[in-house]
Amino acid sequence: MTHAAQETFGEETVREAAEIIARYPQSRSALLPMLHLVQSVQGFVSPEGMRFCAEQLELSEAEVAAVATFYTMYKRSPCGQHLVSVCTNTLCAAMGGDAIYAKLREKLGLGERLEGNEETAGEPGEPGSLTLEHAECLAACDLAPVLQVDYEYFDKQTPESAAELVDRLRAGEAPAPSRGPGLRGFRSAERQLAGFFDGEAALESVVDGSSQAVETLRGAQIAAEHGWVAPEAEDVPIPEVEEGAK
Amino acid sequence: MTTVEETTQTPVPEGHVRLTIDGREVIAPKGELIIRTAEREGIEIPRFCDHPLLDPAAACRQCLVEVEMNGRAMPKPQPACAITISDGMVVHTQHGSEVARKAQEGVMELLLINHPLDCPICDKGGECPLQNQALRHGRAESRFRDQKRTFTKPIEVSKQVLLDRERCVLCQRCTRFSAEIAGDPFIELLERGAHQQIGTAKTADAEGWGAVTPQGQPYQSYFSGNAIQICPVGALTSAAYRFRSRPFDLVSAPSVCEHCSSGCAERTDFRRGKVMRKLAGEDPEVNEEWICDKGRFAFRYVTADDRITRPLVRENGKLREASWTEALRIAADRLAEARDNGGVGVLPGGRLTVEDAYAYAKFARISLHTNDIDFRARPHSAEELDFLTTNVLGTTPEDGVTFTGLERANTVLCVALEPEEEAPAVFLRLRKAARKAGTKVVHIGQFSTPAVDKTFGTLLACIPGEETNAVLGLREHAADVYAQLGEGGVILLGERAAEVPGLLSTVAGLARETGAQLAWIPRRAGERGALEAGALPTLLPGGRRVDDTEARAEVAAAWGLEALPELAGKDASAILTAAANGKLHGLVLGGVDPDDLPNPELAREALARAEFVVSLELRRTAVTEYADVVLPVAAAVEKSGTYLNWEGRPRPFDIAIENTGILSDCRVLDTLAVEMDTDLFTQTPQAALADLDRLGTVEPPVAQPGWTIEFEGEGPPKSPLRHGKARLATWHRLLDNGSLQDNEPHLAQTARETVVKLSTATAQGIGVGAGDPVVVSTHQGRIELPAEIADLPDGVVWLPANSGPSTVRASLGVGHGDLVDVRAGGGE
Ligand code: SF4
Ligand code: SF4
Ligand code: FES
Ligand code: FES
Repeated sequence: MTHAAQETFGEETVREAAEIIARYPQSRSALLPMLHLVQSVQGFVSPEGMRFCAEQLELSEAEVAAVATFYTMYKRSPCGQHLVSVCTNTLCAAMGGDAIYAKLREKLGLGERLEGNEETAGEPGEPGSLTLEHAECLAACDLAPVLQVDYEYFDKQTPESAAELVDRLRAGEAPAPSRGPGLRGFRSAERQLAGFFDGEAALESVVDGSSQAVETLRGAQIAAEHGWVAPEAEDVPIPEVEEGAK
Repeated sequence: MTTVEETTQTPVPEGHVRLTIDGREVIAPKGELIIRTAEREGIEIPRFCDHPLLDPAAACRQCLVEVEMNGRAMPKPQPACAITISDGMVVHTQHGSEVARKAQEGVMELLLINHPLDCPICDKGGECPLQNQALRHGRAESRFRDQKRTFTKPIEVSKQVLLDRERCVLCQRCTRFSAEIAGDPFIELLERGAHQQIGTAKTADAEGWGAVTPQGQPYQSYFSGNAIQICPVGALTSAAYRFRSRPFDLVSAPSVCEHCSSGCAERTDFRRGKVMRKLAGEDPEVNEEWICDKGRFAFRYVTADDRITRPLVRENGKLREASWTEALRIAADRLAEARDNGGVGVLPGGRLTVEDAYAYAKFARISLHTNDIDFRARPHSAEELDFLTTNVLGTTPEDGVTFTGLERANTVLCVALEPEEEAPAVFLRLRKAARKAGTKVVHIGQFSTPAVDKTFGTLLACIPGEETNAVLGLREHAADVYAQLGEGGVILLGERAAEVPGLLSTVAGLARETGAQLAWIPRRAGERGALEAGALPTLLPGGRRVDDTEARAEVAAAWGLEALPELAGKDASAILTAAANGKLHGLVLGGVDPDDLPNPELAREALARAEFVVSLELRRTAVTEYADVVLPVAAAVEKSGTYLNWEGRPRPFDIAIENTGILSDCRVLDTLAVEMDTDLFTQTPQAALADLDRLGTVEPPVAQPGWTIEFEGEGPPKSPLRHGKARLATWHRLLDNGSLQDNEPHLAQTARETVVKLSTATAQGIGVGAGDPVVVSTHQGRIELPAEIADLPDGVVWLPANSGPSTVRASLGVGHGDLVDVRAGGGE
C-alpha cells in the first residue's frame, strides 16, 4: 500500500491516529475524531486528509467523503486562527443573532451573499485570521443571542459586543469567553475534539472550567421548587427487529 | 380499529405469523417485510429504495402504509419496506387507507419538487419507476412554484457510469448495491440537506457543489452497470448507451452471457439488427439479478469493422471473397487431401455452444477420421485431461457444486482461481455466502487480491507453480481449513491449475480424502460444454472414452458408421507440434488466438507449415493470415444454442438478431461435411442437440485411486530473488485486451491499472520503489510496467496475462510459475 497522504501528516499524526483507532471496538467508529485530528493539522479537511483517514481506517475515500461532507464542523477550505460561529437559529435569530451575523459579515468585508457555509477573513492560519460561520442552535438559547469562538461560548451578545470581540481577535488578542476555558485557536480546539489534551493541566482546564450559567438551571430550579415532574412516557409498541439484519 | 376474529382460523404453521393486509387475512413467514408479503398477495405498494436483494434502508419513504400492532395504530405511517410482519399486525395500504394514500402522494410530490421531469430526453423514460409511479400514485399537479435545484450534468462517476444528480431521488440503491453486493463502496451519499447527492471521492470536494477534483478514487467496480440498471430513475446512465435509444424502440430477447463460464441470464435489447444494450436477466439459481460489466457492456465486437461476412479463399497467396459454394468445395477437397496424406487436427476453441462443439467433435471423427481434437486453446496438460474426465465430466447441478450450494458451504477453498477476474458471478456468490451465511473463503494464491478482501477471505500465499505443495501442506499448516473441508467444504479450481504439475490430481485427492465437493471453473463459456460434447482427443460425446471399445461401437452405431477412429488423439500442443513438424497436413480452427496457446511461436509455426488451414471465425484474426479458407460464423447474439456453465447447467438461449445470413459453426460444419460426403446432422443447433441427446450420456468413469502425486519436502519452498530471477504469477483480468471487449472504449477505461506487482523486499532487491518502471523479461522478450507493491511472497512477480502492454504469452513465451528475469526499468 502506498501512503502518499501520510507524508503530509507525518509519523506523529499516524501514531495519534492509531491511538484514536485503539479507543473503539470497530475501527470505523474512529472516523469522526480522526477528521478532527486532520483539521488540527491542516485547519480543514483536505482531499489528502480524507485519503489519510481512508488509509488509516481501511475505508474507501468515498466513505470518508460521505461523512466529511455531511457535518458542517468539517471545513472544506483552510480556516483562520479562530472560528467564529454565530447562532442564527430561531431563538438567537429573533433575539439579534441575524443582526450580529450581518454586522460581522460587514465588518470582515465578506459581502452580502454567503458562498458555502463559512468564509475566512485574512490569510488562513495567520494570527488574527478569522473564519465566520452561521451555526444552528448552539444549545444555549437561554443565553441568546450567543456566538462561539473555537467552540467556546460568548453569551448574550449584541452586534456591538460581537464587533468588539472580533476586533480584538483580529488584533491577536484572546478575550476570555463567558464560560469555559480560554481561547487557544481553532486547531487546538480541533485537537481536543480529537481527544488530545496535551497534558493533564490542559485536560483539567477544560473539564474544570465552569460551563453552566445561572440561566441554564433556572427552569430546573423552578420545577424543583414546585415539585413538577415530566409525565411518564406511554407504552408505545415498537415493531420487532429481526436478528441478523446487517 | 379491527383485529381478526379468533374463531374460524386456520392454524399458523411453525415460523409463520398471521396478519391482515387491506382486510385480507394473510399467513406469511415470520421476519418477512410488509412490502414483500403484500406483493405476494398481489397488493402493490409503490417504492424506490426497496430492492429484494439489498438490505432495507427506508430511504425514500414512498412505501408508507398504516400499521396497527396489538390493536393500536402506530402513530405515523410506516415504511412497508423496512418493517417486518408480526402476529396480529394489521396493515392498511394506499388501497384502503386515506392516510397511506395521502402520505404516498405527499412523498411523491416532494420527490418531484427537485426532479427535472425531463422524461423526453431521459434514457429511463418509458421504463422508469418514477414516471410510472408518479402517474399512478402522485398528484396530477405540483404545487411547487419556485425554481428547481440544478446541478452540472452529468458528472462522471466512472468512465462508464454518468450521473445526472438532479434526477436522483436519493434512494441509495446504487450505494447499497456497491457496498453490499459488489463490495466496492466507492460511491456514496455526500453532503446534506438540499445539497445531498450521490458522488465519489472524486466529486466530493463540494466547493461549487461537487466540482470534480483531479484527486480521489473513482467508482471502480466490475459490477457498476448493475447500479445503473437498478437506479429507479434516470440519474445513472451508461456512457455507452446514453441517448442512444428509447426503451419502446427496442426489441428484447432473453439471452445468456457468452463471456465466462458462469452463464449469467441476460436480456439483449436490440434495434434494427443491432444490439443497443444488455441487461441482467433474473435467475435466482445462477446470477440472481446481477451481471458483471463485461457481460453487460462488451457486445460491440459483433459489429466490428473487421467482421467477416463472406467466405474467403486464398489465391496466389492472397485472400479474396468467394461464394459459399466455392469456399466449401475448396475446403472439402483440400481437407480430404490433407486427411489422407497425414491427417487434420481440429482446434475448436473454448467459446462454443454445446451444439457447435458437438459438430466439431463429430466432424473430426466422421469427416476427418481422427481424434485429434482439443478445445483447450490455453495451457493444458495430460493430467488435466484425466482430471476433467474423472472429476468434472457429467457433473450436474443435481449432484455437483452450484451457485446456491456455495452459500450453504461452510468453507470454500479457491485454488488457482481468481473468481472476480475469471468468473465474476461466482465471486458475487462467494461474497454473499461470506456476508450472509458466514461461509469461510480461503484462497490459495499469491497476494491479497481485492477478491480476498471482499470475500472476507483468508489468503494462503504460495510461490506460483508451488500450489501443489501448498495443497499438500494444508493438513499440517492449515489444519482448521483441512478439517472444515470435511464438514461441508467446497473446493473450486481455476483454469491455471493446468499449468501447475500435480495440482489437479492433488486437489482431487484432497477432495476424496476430506469429502469436500469439487468444481472446476474454467474461464471461457464454452469449455464445459465442449468437454461433454467430446471435443477432446480421448473423449467422445456424452462422456464416452475413446479407448472404450463398447463406447466407440455405440457411438459409431448411433452415427451410422462402421467404426470410429480407435487411437486416442493428440492434445492441442501435440496437434500443433505435429503440424509444425509437417506430420499433420491440415488444421481446422474455431475462434483460436495463437497468443492464447501455451506456445504462441509453435502455434504460428504450425499454422505456417500446415498445407491447408481452415478457419471458422467472426473477425479477422492472427489465424486469418495463415488460413487458406476462412468461413464466417455467427456471434452469440446471431444464433441459438446452449452453453453449459461450470455447474454443468444447460443455459439455452434463442437467437436475438435474426436474418443476418450468418450461420452458426454447427451449420457451417454440417455443410462442409456434406461436401466431404459425410453427414453430421447438425444443420441447426436444434438438430445438433437432438442428435447429441439421442446419443445420451454414460456414467462418468470413476476416479481412480492412486492418482495423487506425492511430492517431496514439506510446505512451499523459498524462492529467493537470485541473480535477478523471479517466479512469475499471472492470470487474466476480467477487462483486458480480450477481443470480445473490442470497440468498448468506456468499458476499457474502467479496467484495473496495468502494473507489475512485487513485494517490498523484491522491489528493494532490484532497487525500485512503488511506481518505478520494472522490466520483466525472458530470452524471448520484455514487458516494462510500473511497480506496485503488494503482499506477494519474495522473489515473485505478478503480471496481468493480457492487459495493455502486458501480453505475457506473446511477449515472454512463459506462463504461471515460470522463471523470469526482473530488473529496474527506465533509462534505456
Ligand atoms: S443515483 Fe439512482 S440509485 Fe443512486 S440514489 Fe440516486 S436515484 Fe437512487
Ligand atoms: S459473470 Fe460471466 S457470465 Fe456473468 S455477465 Fe460476467 S462474464 Fe458474463
Ligand atoms: S437558538 Fe441559538 S443557542 Fe439555541
Ligand atoms: S421503498 Fe420503502 S422507504 Fe423506500
